[in-house]
Amino acid sequence: MMQIKNLHAKIGEKEILKGVNLALEKGKVHVLMGTNGSGKSTLTKAIVGHYDVSVTAGTIEYKGKNLVDMPAEERALEGVFLSFQNPIEIPGVNNAYFLRAALNAKEKYRGEKETNAAEFLKLMRAHAQKLGMNPDMISRGLNDGFSGGEKKRNEILQMEILQPDMILLDEIDSGLDIDALKAVSQGINRMKDGERTFLVITHYKRILDYIHPDYVHIFQDGQVIKNGGPELVDVLESEGYQAIVKD
Amino acid sequence: MKAVNLDLVHTEHPLYAKLQSMGMPANKTEQYRNFAIKPLLAQKYHFYNPEKSVPKEGEKLVITNGSVSEFPSGVQVRYESDFVCDNAHYDVLYFYSHAVSVQTIYVEVTRESRFELEHICNQAETFLPYRIVISTAKNIHVEIFETFRFDASEQSFVLYGLDAFVNTDTTLRWIRNASINQAQAKLVGTHRFNVAREGALELNTFDFGDANALHLYKIDLAEHAWSRAAHLLYANTQARSGNIIAINHNEVYAKSAQEARYILADEAVGIFDSKIRVDAGAQHSHAVQNSKAILLSPHAHMYAKPQLEIYIDELEASHGATIGELDADALFYLNSRGIEAEEARKILVLAFAQSLIDSIGSSHYVEKINQAFEAAYYKKEQ
Repeated sequence: MMQIKNLHAKIGEKEILKGVNLALEKGKVHVLMGTNGSGKSTLTKAIVGHYDVSVTAGTIEYKGKNLVDMPAEERALEGVFLSFQNPIEIPGVNNAYFLRAALNAKEKYRGEKETNAAEFLKLMRAHAQKLGMNPDMISRGLNDGFSGGEKKRNEILQMEILQPDMILLDEIDSGLDIDALKAVSQGINRMKDGERTFLVITHYKRILDYIHPDYVHIFQDGQVIKNGGPELVDVLESEGYQAIVKD
Repeated sequence: MKAVNLDLVHTEHPLYAKLQSMGMPANKTEQYRNFAIKPLLAQKYHFYNPEKSVPKEGEKLVITNGSVSEFPSGVQVRYESDFVCDNAHYDVLYFYSHAVSVQTIYVEVTRESRFELEHICNQAETFLPYRIVISTAKNIHVEIFETFRFDASEQSFVLYGLDAFVNTDTTLRWIRNASINQAQAKLVGTHRFNVAREGALELNTFDFGDANALHLYKIDLAEHAWSRAAHLLYANTQARSGNIIAINHNEVYAKSAQEARYILADEAVGIFDSKIRVDAGAQHSHAVQNSKAILLSPHAHMYAKPQLEIYIDELEASHGATIGELDADALFYLNSRGIEAEEARKILVLAFAQSLIDSIGSSHYVEKINQAFEAAYYKKEQ
């Protein structure tokens, strides 16, 4: 689904990614774990084309194209979705209006009929209900005044409506209470259809108990230093990153 | 054809001496420093003498080339040749417009009313000065939706103004929806609002387009009077546009709140110069003032000058101003969901404007103003 080869990137003058090689398999759940500041979020930003990150070498191959050459919106239209670690608040931009604009943009890109306002509202209400979201969040400003948990649910709501193929979840579990974690995990599981690929960045095992990853990758100093299965998480839990670095 | 200067005022006019001492506005005159008033006054114009035609009764108050052509029911209209203007006004063009206007239009609103005031100018290369006095009865609610239709008015200069008297326990809700383009007349409005005890003024102004336009206000608040002013301005190309406001808290328990939001594209210049003055006799005043501007281009300029002048201790007051670009993180967030760059910019600009548009409440007016804003914004995008 996605092949990242020898990816180097910097923020400002500082090199953060130092030759990332990572193969993300179609229909699988990949987990990326690593110490704070190792460059995990920068990797997701490089994949979605964030303006802060300059790719200096390497490729991100996806659906036969190199994403590095594409503007951010085109990457999204091609099916790449990032759930942000700290989703921004945009007062004045109605949540429903924004999400319908995003859905219509995708439909237009694919040459499909655009979902009208009434159909969209029905769709959004149904998804919001599944996620246990307060109905008034639909008509509020985008993430405006939302709690941390509400913002994360809103990211999952967007994911479920936009139906992307390559899903990057950057610490989707941070700041969630038990109920919110369950709701978010259920949302992720609803999207698992054997075709979509997930890259989940997390520091904790608890979300992995719900979403059952296929592969675990350890990130250190701007590189993937180890690839393995879910058993790697148990090693980390018991011995910490030091054991993997030594290994 | 003649330029706009003191030669147009008869030396025996009661305001002549005052005008002579104040002098016509120049590039260094504080209120007009950023507006480029000098070329506007120096240009040669025809002089149009408004006709005192008999207006017909209709739905709107229509002023065509300085004369009333239609008036709504519940409103009495007449002409007067003289009016005692506010001697304490700060703007020389306030006095000048009084001095050179052939007639003053008196509008008396005697009962609850809601109507549109439409200004029509269809004369090219013409200087068109006129003044309107609006007085309201006690204890009523009046809502006036002010619009402008400046077809075939290229190279003209409309200098108009209001002297509005908001009576005791009365609310005057003034909504200006002005979309004027550079091919049409330039506009300067110089106004005075006098709000009596427990009266209320809601001033909502929406100025969109690429024409030069400036409005200057003096608002006087008596005991327990209040005013809420909201100014949304969108200007593009080389427009110079703005609001200059003096709000005076003259007596106790007066309240004023003011919010300005400006969106400036291309090489446009926005002007927000506002002073709230709390007089020594105006204890327990409440005054807030805020101005925010977004520059959509590196060549756009915003002149923001929020000021408080306070002569008492017992009050609540605050003011502030911010000027910036569209938030890059917000833009990226929209892009990351597949919304292309221009559409994302539009969504954020509309969001910035929306809170002031929505604040007028009436869905009928909200829709009209949304349409006007989008028409001006999309015209720029084309």
